[in-house]
Amino acid sequence: MSFILDIYRFDQATDEVPHRDQVECDLPITMTVLDALENVKAEKDGSITFRRSCRSAICGSCSMNINGTTGLACKTPVKSVLRSDNTVAVDPMPNFQPMKDLVVHMDPFWDKYTRLKPYLQPADKDSDHATERRVSPEDMHKLVAVANCVMCATCYALCPVVSVDPAFAGPAAIAYAYRFIEDVRDSKRKERAAQISDDYLWLCAHCYACSYCPKHVDPQDDIIAVKRATIEEGLTDAAGPRHALVVAKTVKQTGMLHETEVIQGTVGRFNIKGLIKVAPLGIRIALAGKMPPVFLKPVPKVNEIKMIFDTLEAPVLA
Amino acid sequence: MTAVIEAPHTKRQSKSAQMRKYGFFPGCVAKESCKELFNSTMLLAERLGIELVELTAASCCGASVLNDTNRDIARVLNARTYAQAEALGLDDVITICSTCTGHMRAANKELLESEAHMGQANAILGKFGAKYNGGVMVRHLLWLLIDDIGLDNLKKMVVNPLNGLKVAPFYGCHIIRPESVNGWESSRNPHSLEDIIEVLGGEAIDYAGKTRCCGFHVQLEKEGIAPAMVGQNMRMAKDKGAEAVLTPCPLCHLALDGYQADSAARWGRTDLPTFHLPQLVGLALGIDPSMLGLNKHIVSPGMVLQAHDLAPAHVA
Repeated sequence: MSFILDIYRFDQATDEVPHRDQVECDLPITMTVLDALENVKAEKDGSITFRRSCRSAICGSCSMNINGTTGLACKTPVKSVLRSDNTVAVDPMPNFQPMKDLVVHMDPFWDKYTRLKPYLQPADKDSDHATERRVSPEDMHKLVAVANCVMCATCYALCPVVSVDPAFAGPAAIAYAYRFIEDVRDSKRKERAAQISDDYLWLCAHCYACSYCPKHVDPQDDIIAVKRATIEEGLTDAAGPRHALVVAKTVKQTGMLHETEVIQGTVGRFNIKGLIKVAPLGIRIALAGKMPPVFLKPVPKVNEIKMIFDTLEAPVLA
Repeated sequence: MTAVIEAPHTKRQSKSAQMRKYGFFPGCVAKESCKELFNSTMLLAERLGIELVELTAASCCGASVLNDTNRDIARVLNARTYAQAEALGLDDVITICSTCTGHMRAANKELLESEAHMGQANAILGKFGAKYNGGVMVRHLLWLLIDDIGLDNLKKMVVNPLNGLKVAPFYGCHIIRPESVNGWESSRNPHSLEDIIEVLGGEAIDYAGKTRCCGFHVQLEKEGIAPAMVGQNMRMAKDKGAEAVLTPCPLCHLALDGYQADSAARWGRTDLPTFHLPQLVGLALGIDPSMLGLNKHIVSPGMVLQAHDLAPAHVA
């Protein structure tokens, strides 16, 4: 059975615009997209360029866009993505600058990783190491999933926030921040929380696009844990943490997420410039005849909700 | 790309007509900014012949934000809501919001799969005499329409067909992702909204933005992010010929409707009226457009509806 590989072609050294090559592959559809590409490169066109190494989802080199979704070519059977027109379209990862064919400039991804200082910084770094640094199985368990990250950048390519604001750290870097923040041997929890906050930790839109991680790291839960760590470390003077804490406050007081209160609490009640910036939507909402309540009546038995907050010692905006 | 992971507690055997009584969790936006979505849902339920019992003492689902402050709070709050449904003899909690669906299902999954979590929740609920026994299934109205009413029956109820209106589906992240929590359909290639659009007599538009994020949850974190995400997605829909958008989520509804004016500078004017699920289904089932709050949209659907002979301009 044959299929067509529809390949994005571009060389930054010579091309103004990309073009595409359709290559007929007389190959079994049970093979992976990477094997198909290797075959085409060996047999038909040696100039086709892509990154690859291990062929078994360990090196993280071959992430690319395959029929519109990003993933590791070595882990994706042709059969699983074949379109009804018998074509597999391969493109470079989105959210990156293409370099040559399926190879992209990875620099922004590595920059964000490097800024984490991605190595252990223990408090007893200069001691004589007479005793080993012990980690309980429970503490190590927290780091097992993230240790599987191969930095293939699939999550970064899929992230809709990165696509509109390249300043956002992206899921992988935040997952790595988690890896050190939650490591009991590390001594820089607050510094790390501050650094990742500066790299727009709180811009994560909670969309779970990173749940397509080919190594099942699923950075979303790590991102949430890092946000909790920044609140625990007292780094609350920014829109993101204020938003989370004011939502908690209104839920505790009324049972509901009180929209108008949340907007004021997040932007800052006395932040006139900030309030003016969010005003256009408010005005549009009002002009459309929508009237979000300024005062909200608490739901029945709201004391039960207060009791839940107090028992769990859940933080709210002061 | 990958097979759908079978998430537990997703599908029910179709309920017989007499048994169609459901707990109803409207969520915050449908009770505050966009009350018309709550009203549309109640009117649609009446038309469908189902009974929605509003859980009036329920709390916020956590809205994907409470997790950022405390690991346990959203789960225990939702356990309280499920206990209220059980006390009323209800085994379904129906939502009309993608975010409510995802986060209430995630909480329920944790409660049902972990004795420690269930124990913790019930220890707190016990302080005020409540208990959750694990008998609740959280489902979205979208799934109820397909599983319990059925597309064939829905088709028979259409009295005001959409006359080929080109509608772009917009799912909203939390009704599809993560699949381990939702799992009702493929999150990469969902089809339920398309099925509904076609049954109502519209034409579903396929575009890459349909499973992407509207940016609602970061609209206050940094200026311009949500409008950019809205513009990017609406541009794709418009370029494929969409005349309107259908979403099962009030948050997406509010963001898509509200931010197209801001995104026009970068992404060009799109002006796609955005319907919340019960509004468009209600319209096709013959509910008076003025009762569905179609006059409360920021991007007015008047022209589009008039062009397809669906509603006089003055009511929308």
